[in-house]
Amino acid sequence: MMITLLTLLLCGGILISGVLAVQLDSLVSAVISAGLASLFAAVVYVILAAPDVAMTEASIGSGLSTMIFLYAIRKTRDED
Amino acid sequence: MVDIALNIAFVLIFFSIIFGIIRLVIGPDTVDRVVAIDLLTIIAIAVIGLLAHVANRFIYLDVALVYGLLSFLGVLAVARFLEKGI
Repeated sequence: MMITLLTLLLCGGILISGVLAVQLDSLVSAVISAGLASLFAAVVYVILAAPDVAMTEASIGSGLSTMIFLYAIRKTRDED
Repeated sequence: MVDIALNIAFVLIFFSIIFGIIRLVIGPDTVDRVVAIDLLTIIAIAVIGLLAHVANRFIYLDVALVYGLLSFLGVLAVARFLEKGI
């Protein structure tokens, strides 16, 4: 019961963060919102009893891709 | 007794996630959203620890450990970016 409600709340959070990542004007805020989607997806993977997938999602999706996006924003904004 | 404590923890985590998402949606500045996602990361670590107790599988705590280390690095990278560093 509680786990089901928690899963529904986390999936709603993934949906909200995806909409925010599309709608926000600031690029850094959009990157942060996209990181939240993979953050909650990792928790949902743990609920689905897949801790190895969750660890990979947390390290690549939430850590590495955010840093690479920030690096790309830094590299491209200087030439505007 | 343990069930009552677990239910209280679940309810507190529900409201924490809801308030964190509200701050992420209405946050007028980027810094507010960084703080909100740091809060949500800590809540996610709490959820994983709670699931490790509920499902009685303590391999889940390794996921929480990796999560804590990487979220710290991520928030640090965003903070350095906002101060024109990286």
